[in-house]
Amino acid sequence: MPLDAGDAGDVQVTGPRSRGERLLDVRDLRVEFRTRDGVARAVNGVSWAVDAGETLAVLGESGSGKSVTAQAVMGILDVPPGRITGGEVLFKGRDLLRMKEDERRRIRGAEMAMIFQDALSSLNPVVPVGDQLGEMFVVHRGMSRKDARARAVELMDRVRIPAARQRVGDYPHQFSGGMRQRIMIAMALALEPALIIADEPTTALDVTVQAQVMDLLAELRREYRMGLVLITHDLGVVADVADRIAVMYAGRIVESAPVHDLYRAPAHPYTRGLLDSIPRLDRKGHALHAIKGLPPNLMDIPPGCAFHPRCPAARDVCRTDVPPPHPVDEHRGSACHFWRECLHD
Amino acid sequence: MGRYVVRRLLQMVPVFIGATLLIFLMVNVMGDPVAGLCGERQCDAATTARLKQEFGLDRPVWQQYLTYMGNVFTGDFGTAFNGQPVTELMATAFPVTARLTVVAILFEIVIGITLGVITGMRRGRPVDTGVLLATLVVISVPTFVTGLLLQLLLGVEWGWIRPSVSPDAAFGELLVPGLVLASVSLAYVTRLTRTSIAENRRSDYVRTAVAKGLPRRRVVTRHLLRNSLIPVVTFIGADIGFLMGGAIVTERIFNIHGVGYQLYQGILRQNTQTVVGFVTVLVLVFLVTNLLVDLLYAVLDPRIRYA
Repeated sequence: MPLDAGDAGDVQVTGPRSRGERLLDVRDLRVEFRTRDGVARAVNGVSWAVDAGETLAVLGESGSGKSVTAQAVMGILDVPPGRITGGEVLFKGRDLLRMKEDERRRIRGAEMAMIFQDALSSLNPVVPVGDQLGEMFVVHRGMSRKDARARAVELMDRVRIPAARQRVGDYPHQFSGGMRQRIMIAMALALEPALIIADEPTTALDVTVQAQVMDLLAELRREYRMGLVLITHDLGVVADVADRIAVMYAGRIVESAPVHDLYRAPAHPYTRGLLDSIPRLDRKGHALHAIKGLPPNLMDIPPGCAFHPRCPAARDVCRTDVPPPHPVDEHRGSACHFWRECLHD
Repeated sequence: MGRYVVRRLLQMVPVFIGATLLIFLMVNVMGDPVAGLCGERQCDAATTARLKQEFGLDRPVWQQYLTYMGNVFTGDFGTAFNGQPVTELMATAFPVTARLTVVAILFEIVIGITLGVITGMRRGRPVDTGVLLATLVVISVPTFVTGLLLQLLLGVEWGWIRPSVSPDAAFGELLVPGLVLASVSLAYVTRLTRTSIAENRRSDYVRTAVAKGLPRRRVVTRHLLRNSLIPVVTFIGADIGFLMGGAIVTERIFNIHGVGYQLYQGILRQNTQTVVGFVTVLVLVFLVTNLLVDLLYAVLDPRIRYA
């Protein structure tokens, strides 16, 4: 596909709170899926970066390309039908996309790990959890099975699974949803990676358990000083734990900002729509706000700004020109032609 | 688990009685057990009466059945009309069929699963299409065609094997017959494995295994295969029970004196005791293997609990 100049995906911001060196730098990543019905452009030039010890939230509706981005970064994209058509993924300065598969495999799990949404289906149903945890040590550290199992018990303790020693031989279906997600977290933490990508880690859980699991993840992240990429569609989760937010729409980053700036004054109509659609107690009895329309079909993304058919502030230029990334300030960016109006609205 | 096994064993009792009664009635009612004893000719009335009395055939069928079952439980399966005890026939026939079964099952496991994994991982590619086509051919061609063809080519034309298996029926001699016997099941195992692998290949836990940085081989063997083989193992397990029943066609073609061969002879010569005796044992073998397969299922998949 042609690279249109000044693509919206180039919005990139370094957070004011960045504490360490650049850990992961995704640059102009493009992913498409070839299907029988045509080519679905799931990721269209996404750029974001995470520093050591920082938490970045990637926010978006389903189909916005946030999970696909994560899978491409992690190297677990289904190829085919998926295909990375462009961009770079620099991890500690080295491009993962140009690495040999074996080299990349050694990084996976050991230096960057991933937590999935549905722990029940993401854990192997016929292997005891202790073995699934211990496998990390056996494969990456060459540990014996016995030692690995001892480490598995430690890890289960670490994520506060009660009676870890007795439960290490149990199978995933014998645990509750929250406990299973703790096991996923333990698995990701096993080798103390520098970066964890969590793809909607609490979506499949009960609301009461969501907070516990999120708190645990945030706490362990602090303790191990890991970078965290939190992929979510839940604005409530984001506010508590993230340092920065990147908002995705139709495979592009539409706004990127430190979390508090974004909540205080969004610089993109889509972000504003998302914030307005959070139900509020003080508006009880009023109709809930919703962004009108549906997310675009990825096989037929509207020309110009992909959001224009749903945007309350859309004008003619939005229908023809893809908005370039506008630096709002040194830490923020917005891919809206009228970000100023939006910001001061 | 224990209670489950006990319940299953109890369930076997009516099944066993029903199956044996059925075969007993069929053999006794549908044919005249004495008819074949006097060679080509009909037996004369006096001889028939004497034989019937000697074998207790003049009594009502239900009495015959009870006497027979009573004897079976004391280990007496009766004598064939040629005077040889049926147990003796079994002692020579079952080991041969067991060896043939082992050979056939090994073919199913080694070739079937390997082909299934290869095609499942490459669905839609030329290898997959080729193997799929081959399995279709194997499934649609009857065993006696493949058997006779291989016997003719390998045994007669090229002389690689002996066309007829010796009475010892050593493992080496049973390779080709075993392959013939396994062929159809092998094709099914291939297809079953292929479907299962292709289905699980995109599953979340395989993705997790890749994300953990496991080498490809470990992802496939430990995570993908372990899950995909559950239906395959149950199929193969059930097939063991089936194969132990003897392969009348294959054993006939290669002159193997196993269970199928004895059954065939028994039926041909209207040898009541042989047929009923063998079938009785086969019913038991089938019931037990089925129970074992069901128990194995729980071992393979910890999510299954028996109560």
